[in-house]
Amino acid sequence: MNAIEIHDMAKSFNGSPVLDEINFKVRKGEIFGYLGPNGSGKTTTMRIMLGLLKPTSGKALIFGEEPDDSNSDLRSRIGVLLENNGLYERLSAYQNLLYYARLYGVPESDRVEKIERLLEFAGLSGRRNKKVGRFSTGMKRKLGLARAMINDPEILFLDEPTSGLDPESRMIVRDLILRLSEDEGMTVFLNTHDLAEVEKVCSNAAILESGRIRACDTIVGLRRSHDKPVLEITLVDTGCAERTLNLLTSQDHAYDCERDDRMVTVALNGESPSTVLGMLVTNGIAVEEVKNATKSLEAVYLDIMKRGREHE
Amino acid sequence: MNKIFIVAEKEMNGIIRTRNMLVGIFFALWFSVMTAPVIKTVEGSLVFDQFNNLLFYFVLMLGIFMAYLFSGNVFFNEKREGIIETLLCTPLSLRQIWAGKVLGVTIPAYLIALLAAALITLIANIFSASILLPSPAILLHIVLVVPGFTAAAVGLLGFGHLLLGMRENQILNISIFVVIFFALSLANNVIGGGYAVSWAMVGGMLIVAVLLLALISYLTRYLSKERIATTIA
Repeated sequence: MNAIEIHDMAKSFNGSPVLDEINFKVRKGEIFGYLGPNGSGKTTTMRIMLGLLKPTSGKALIFGEEPDDSNSDLRSRIGVLLENNGLYERLSAYQNLLYYARLYGVPESDRVEKIERLLEFAGLSGRRNKKVGRFSTGMKRKLGLARAMINDPEILFLDEPTSGLDPESRMIVRDLILRLSEDEGMTVFLNTHDLAEVEKVCSNAAILESGRIRACDTIVGLRRSHDKPVLEITLVDTGCAERTLNLLTSQDHAYDCERDDRMVTVALNGESPSTVLGMLVTNGIAVEEVKNATKSLEAVYLDIMKRGREHE
Repeated sequence: MNKIFIVAEKEMNGIIRTRNMLVGIFFALWFSVMTAPVIKTVEGSLVFDQFNNLLFYFVLMLGIFMAYLFSGNVFFNEKREGIIETLLCTPLSLRQIWAGKVLGVTIPAYLIALLAAALITLIANIFSASILLPSPAILLHIVLVVPGFTAAAVGLLGFGHLLLGMRENQILNISIFVVIFFALSLANNVIGGGYAVSWAMVGGMLIVAVLLLALISYLTRYLSKERIATTIA
């Protein structure tokens, strides 16, 4: 059974469509990235999966069940870290975790040990009795993640978990997420617009744009499916780089051209690499080396966004 | 422990730890000091009626005022900060969360009202030649009607805070404050109206409190997670 199944899901607010024809599946133990720009419908999708919103049509199934208000058993198997950390600023880190442990019905005999373990996991053992209001954004986020795991969830929903964090805290949170999947076999649904994050931690991803899924595949598959050949051309002479770019773009052979000293990186527009190479040589440009390059997820994402806008 | 009590315990501890509790105690003291000395202006048997009227009106008003003061902290702030969304994802149902919060606010609000009752009794006795004790009808009023109305006020305010958007909530808060202020300014007319609180009056109030609680409990059926999630700031 899949951890998440979304079937033909749509959502409108006051007649305005926010999500349309959303379909995807997340296997157990997978870290799934849900990518999209602000306002694309990522949080709405997550809220539907959490039972906070009802879909206008279609359905969201978590472990084969619909997440409605009556399904408290299902909610006890889910961990959630939303944009807000769900923490009470006047309570200490320990008190926050204790409150949620009680709400989730964690047995009294296990509570203390579990809370200590999670504080250790988040690197906050030394601050267990400090009020959360005095924590930095990064510490709150890490504690929020620990809070989301208080019930040993089988699936963890994370909404922009590294948003607003400094690079070091970002790395720590990413490592924590990876450890959850690798060590605990936890399914993680990651809502984000941070492409680097998805590339580093996710095995699969969907790209959402204007309420529609434009692509959904493994990270490698996403790169390939939206990949027109990308060439890294190393020139003999730096002075030819500008001319090379002009030649390639003026004849519509390439798009997304980048230049870095003697190296020109181009995404080809249907031409074969040999044709492009031949054209450069014919025009008197000395080429030292040509390599096939893989398009980055960022390039794929931007390409999808661009096509989406053109489509509109 | 029932999960409603876990929520109630947390909210109660939260209120006791904030300065709202101190504000509540201050108001209990202030109302008592400002109102109870009126006893010395009354003569003869009227002093008992005046004393009971004081308790009847101010203890109830203070309970409702504290409900207003504490509800904002518990319902409104939690919604404004978005914590309510995380809470709605826990195994608790929406009604359990609402009921836990109502209970957690009602208890400290009622305790402040009881404090006011004790202070009014104490101060009135200082200014009276005879010993003043609440009549049995007033005791029933304090024991049943005041907590009933306080719980109804908390329930209704909590319902409003969860149902409405942030802007509407601010308007609601200001409107309620104006109504409470107006009601308190009418105190002299109500207390000195030349009547005695009767069993019938207290019984009537008790029925109203029960009906209000039933109505509010029914109204919570119209609360939904979707409504709350879409009205968060």
